Amino acid sequence: MRDLLSYLTQRFFWMLLTLWVVYTFSFILMRSVPGNPFSSERNVPPAIERQLEARYNLDAPPLTQYIDYLVGIVTRFDLGWCIRLEDYSVNQVLAEGLPVSASLAIFAMVFAIILGVSTGVVSAVYRGTYADIGMRTAAVLGIAIPNFVLAGLAILLFVFGIKIFPAGGWGTLRQVALPALCLGAPIAAYIARLTRTGMLEVLTKDHVRTAFAKGLPKRTVIMKHVLPGAMLPVVSYLGPATARVLTGSLVLEQIFALPGLGSHFIHAALQRDYTLATGMVLTYTVILFVMNTLVDISYSIIDPRVKLQ
Amino acid sequence: MNTGKDDRDVKLLEQILDESKQVQGVSLWQDAWKRLRRNKAAMASMATLCILGILAFLTPLLPLQSPIDKDLNNRRFLPPSLETVVMGQRDGLKFKDGRLTAQLAKFEDEIGELRTKQRSESDPDKRDAIDEQIENRIEVEHPFNQLWNELDSVSWGLCELRVSIFGDYAIPSIFGTDQLGRDLLARVFWGARVSLIVGIVATLVSLIIGVSYGATAGYFGGIVDTIMMRIVDVLYSIPFFFVVILIMTFLGDDAIKKRMNEIGIDQIMVFYVVIGAIYWLTMSRVVRGQVLSLKEEQFVESARTVGASSSRIIFRHLVPNVLGIVIVYLTLTIPSVMLFEAFLSFLGMGVSPPDVSWGLLLKDGVDALSSVKLFWWVVVFPGAALAATLFALNFLGDGLRDALDPRMKNRD
Amino acid sequence: MPPQVRRAFLIVAAVMVVIAVAWASFFETLPPADFSLQSGTDPKTLDPHRATGNIESRLIFAMFNGLLQMLPEGEPDPESGLQPMTAQPAMAKSYDVSDSGRTYTFHLRDDIFWTDGSPVTSHDFAWSWQRMLHPGTACEYTFQLHGVPFAKEYSESTVKVGDKVEVELWDRPDDTDDKASLQNFPRGTMRYGILREIEKPDKPPLSDDASDKQIKNAEADWQETWVYHIDVAAENADGSIDWDGQTKSQTFVANLESAAKKTDTQRCHAVMIAFGKLGGLETPDYKTFVVHLKDAIPYFPNLVAYYPTFPVNKNCVEEHGSPLWTKAENIVTNGPYKLQERRLRDRLRLLKNEDYFGVNEKGYDTIDFLSMEGQNTAINMYETDQISWVTDPPAALLGELIKRDDFVSAPQLSIYYYQINIQREPLDDVRVRRAIAMAIDRKQIVEQVMKTGQLPAFTLVPPGIAGYESAKGPIFDVEAAQKLLVEAGFPGGRGIPKITLLYNTTETHRAIAEVIQQQLQNNLNVKIELQNMEWGSYLDKRKQKDYEIARAGWIADYPDPNTFLDMWITDGPQNDTNWSNQEFDRLLQDAGSEGDPAKRMKMLQAAEQIFIDEMPVIPIYFYTSLNMIKNDVEGFFPTAQDLHPIQLLQPKEGVK
Repeated sequence: MRDLLSYLTQRFFWMLLTLWVVYTFSFILMRSVPGNPFSSERNVPPAIERQLEARYNLDAPPLTQYIDYLVGIVTRFDLGWCIRLEDYSVNQVLAEGLPVSASLAIFAMVFAIILGVSTGVVSAVYRGTYADIGMRTAAVLGIAIPNFVLAGLAILLFVFGIKIFPAGGWGTLRQVALPALCLGAPIAAYIARLTRTGMLEVLTKDHVRTAFAKGLPKRTVIMKHVLPGAMLPVVSYLGPATARVLTGSLVLEQIFALPGLGSHFIHAALQRDYTLATGMVLTYTVILFVMNTLVDISYSIIDPRVKLQ
Repeated sequence: MNTGKDDRDVKLLEQILDESKQVQGVSLWQDAWKRLRRNKAAMASMATLCILGILAFLTPLLPLQSPIDKDLNNRRFLPPSLETVVMGQRDGLKFKDGRLTAQLAKFEDEIGELRTKQRSESDPDKRDAIDEQIENRIEVEHPFNQLWNELDSVSWGLCELRVSIFGDYAIPSIFGTDQLGRDLLARVFWGARVSLIVGIVATLVSLIIGVSYGATAGYFGGIVDTIMMRIVDVLYSIPFFFVVILIMTFLGDDAIKKRMNEIGIDQIMVFYVVIGAIYWLTMSRVVRGQVLSLKEEQFVESARTVGASSSRIIFRHLVPNVLGIVIVYLTLTIPSVMLFEAFLSFLGMGVSPPDVSWGLLLKDGVDALSSVKLFWWVVVFPGAALAATLFALNFLGDGLRDALDPRMKNRD
Repeated sequence: MPPQVRRAFLIVAAVMVVIAVAWASFFETLPPADFSLQSGTDPKTLDPHRATGNIESRLIFAMFNGLLQMLPEGEPDPESGLQPMTAQPAMAKSYDVSDSGRTYTFHLRDDIFWTDGSPVTSHDFAWSWQRMLHPGTACEYTFQLHGVPFAKEYSESTVKVGDKVEVELWDRPDDTDDKASLQNFPRGTMRYGILREIEKPDKPPLSDDASDKQIKNAEADWQETWVYHIDVAAENADGSIDWDGQTKSQTFVANLESAAKKTDTQRCHAVMIAFGKLGGLETPDYKTFVVHLKDAIPYFPNLVAYYPTFPVNKNCVEEHGSPLWTKAENIVTNGPYKLQERRLRDRLRLLKNEDYFGVNEKGYDTIDFLSMEGQNTAINMYETDQISWVTDPPAALLGELIKRDDFVSAPQLSIYYYQINIQREPLDDVRVRRAIAMAIDRKQIVEQVMKTGQLPAFTLVPPGIAGYESAKGPIFDVEAAQKLLVEAGFPGGRGIPKITLLYNTTETHRAIAEVIQQQLQNNLNVKIELQNMEWGSYLDKRKQKDYEIARAGWIADYPDPNTFLDMWITDGPQNDTNWSNQEFDRLLQDAGSEGDPAKRMKMLQAAEQIFIDEMPVIPIYFYTSLNMIKNDVEGFFPTAQDLHPIQLLQPKEGVK
């Protein structure tokens, strides 16, 4: 337990450091990009532009801006007001968008794990059969098709072909299903491959052979002795998978008109919404860090050979 | 005299030497190659990729239609067909007889006339003036400029060769045409060049950074290793896709582009480097792990005893030994990079027209994909090309891993 | 880890997953609205004085109501199908115009209320207009009221010695010593008086390599140290100012660090013209609102029917502050619909305002403005009956969609053009500009790229403005264009360097740019390099005049040629072309004070002719509005400004 605590403290420290690096980097990058958040087709008189800049503290010298904003974040968790989305503060945007992105990600991940692991197991157990080849092909295909193409095809098939899902929007389980499927598909494919390889490796191990030799039913051996070992690479993939879900949702939110966080990011970057973009990058960094930490902890618990450090 | 005995000894020695040469151990690479050859899927994939690479390189030589010439009046969203197409037939081009060859001949005649005039001119100043005029006209009026976008010199030569071989013949639009009436087959081929180069160059960048970084960390170990790997850990938790979007909007700016052009960097190169810079993390971890175990081996010890420098040991002795795993990883990185290119194209941050990549084609395709009217070909063909390439790369990667992994040795 | 821990961990993990899925499956579901439409990206703001753009205007027209409103009048045009719209009574039941055309008296209705139950009065308008003009509000449409005396000076915050000014002291509710309150309403204590002197301390020196921005900031900082000497006048009980009475000399400064500061100098936010007290706007009683204008503006009724002049509720704004007052739980409005709920990037749910004076009994009770980014998403949702109105149909499919009977398109008062930086060679030569313009086949662009009935544009002002006939522009003529190039010294296009064409990243802009690139290559051997940029950088480039040719567009703010012409006056804020012509400036200025409408139109036409002959912009085409509306919706018709009053929409009789 003490291990875990000191590990968590350490990770927390690293996370703060990372966040600071990310904050500094994006601050410098965004300020050096030409264009400002108030660019609009209609040129505004200087008096008005000055007022606008004052509203967001953009008239202060860069260093003051850097420090003021950082202090605001650290002491009050206050990411400021969005510049382009005037009626909202960054915190409000996050509060409204995060649950949507999170539930989409949860569905996608659960779907990916269930589908990926089960096809992986079947494919390994029935190695070399047509089922195996078919599943492997499907898995590679899942990896090889870009998300937005998959979504386009899925809409044609499931919305207009066999009319079971609505075309977009948010608010019901049926509306989440299709985007979650598209988001989960490539991850499912990857998990299936990892599971299959892992299974094949464990199946040749001595303890498994012994278990089979003892006459235990195939089902029991696979569930009790093979699967846990085979799951290790899958668990370690969950970290990168999170990163993939985050980017994937960016695209799917646009295609399915979902009110998640991803599309904010694109807009913020394109429209030079400094505060929102910073808030988003920091949020995604925290999410990724937390997920990676969770994965590391799970890994050390499942695999007795691994130690947290 | 004991020369006879010596002779015998020498002969014996030679014989032994010969034998030893014959039984020389099978090297890792030969062994791997032997195993790879037995894997039919991997071999087929490799063949596919080789053919694809060659075709992509030779694209200007193939009798394809123009990838940029738009025929808005007659050829928008044409489904795949076998109708014959003649190069330069579109009215708007105003080619002589509506044929590329005829226009080319006419143009060359005109240039030829100028050349004769130049030769007969005695005043060197005037000669230079005409020379400049010729160059100017080739740059501006050459028929190739209407059909292809900024060909480099190799591609230009290939195009000329193509015209002399195939004349005005062009493969019909068997993949159909796109929203602006351009031939999709030609665009898929020209797109392959960009997409493959993005994939390969970005991966190479990640390879160079990742291998040097990982090998250095692994070799020195201790505090250096800890610090370097901590940095990797930190970088791992940065959502790079988001940072890349920020960087790409930054680089899209004209002033920055110009400044970079001055120091000889064009945007697409930065694009490679940026993508490469994301993907080196995993590579460096893998290489470090391998080097950590390798550096205790005797050959490293001996190299150190004879006084080889650290960098020499790392790059001459350690790196070649981790190449196997690196190659496997490479075949898996290229697909990710190509998908990432498509993702950026979807967001409108990829290559800019009239350049074309598979990602851009797919984005155009998906835009036209709807229930209102099914223009299936604009998404199916570029999609199939991308999927097939990634498919092949994945299978080749699997095959290579099986072949190079010693644990798999002597298994069925 | 001991095995028990591992087992426990698995159980915990499983439970967590179940909880997560359960949490994710829980939705706060809204019942579907009676009518849903594609709103586009999320509105930037719901504050009528801060909003710009189509998406915002559609919402604000639904939620707020001005003195007048644009409503259909008369029969649709038989040729184009356009429904004429005129400014008709809304909050004002009628209005009188003085003979000079310079005074408008609006008579407000008695049965008009805010959604908090209080009546809408003339004071609401006076207050709202002042707020709209106040620089602190930073409204981009202040020029719409610049016809009112002193409105321009007020919105640009310029004063000169001798002006009657207002001073806002540094005591807004949230003011602190080192930071000004961002809420410019409620205001601090006001003082009124006559400006006697501006004492300017020495300008601090600037380093030579200071950037534009630094120079601008230094200038503004310096202005804050100016000390204003003002003879403060007394305020009468009724709020008017006794300008000629007893005065008291006082000094004011924005920055107390100023070197010119006196011991009794008071800190203030700004010294501005006393717009509110100078009689431009009058409120003789609660229901009468009088507007004085400097010149007769024939299209003034159109301006007060446009959303930036709509009133906002003073109590609401002052209580919650900006921008919090626009939150669904705070906002107070006076329009045909009211905001029920706003979910970011999802929807705005509007509810019929039963207290609205002109409530349409048959209209929809609830309307969803759905946020969506993708054009294809919208059409997919339309096809599956999730929405009934597509406001932005996908470009790639227009060729197919236009054949359908639920596709509504009509000419719009707006133009798509390429503007030229006329200081760049070779574009500084008018012959080259004209040659390029004449070598562009607009017909091909509208018929083959746009395909939805757009009209090729050869002039700046779109057809369809009553009483106006556009100037004559050069038509498509390749031979003449080539001849012009020869005259300009570029026979056969030789010698012309590559010209860059700047456009913002959009499918359609790209397609048009590519076609024009090809046309110029084919027709003139002129090489064009395409340069696409996302919106922010593109605008910046344009503003800094760092381009050669740039794509742009303009939508009429009001149905009058002036909206297309006055942006090109010398040093006009929208004029990024470096073009300037004194004759043109003079004609526009004269037209502004011309009383006779026919003569005025003639002057505008002459100005347009100068403009089009000089060709600082190449007109490409006139937009058409593109909408798709379900057949079971009634009350939707094509209009020249693409305005569709949402309160007129209702389900068709007999259709459920």
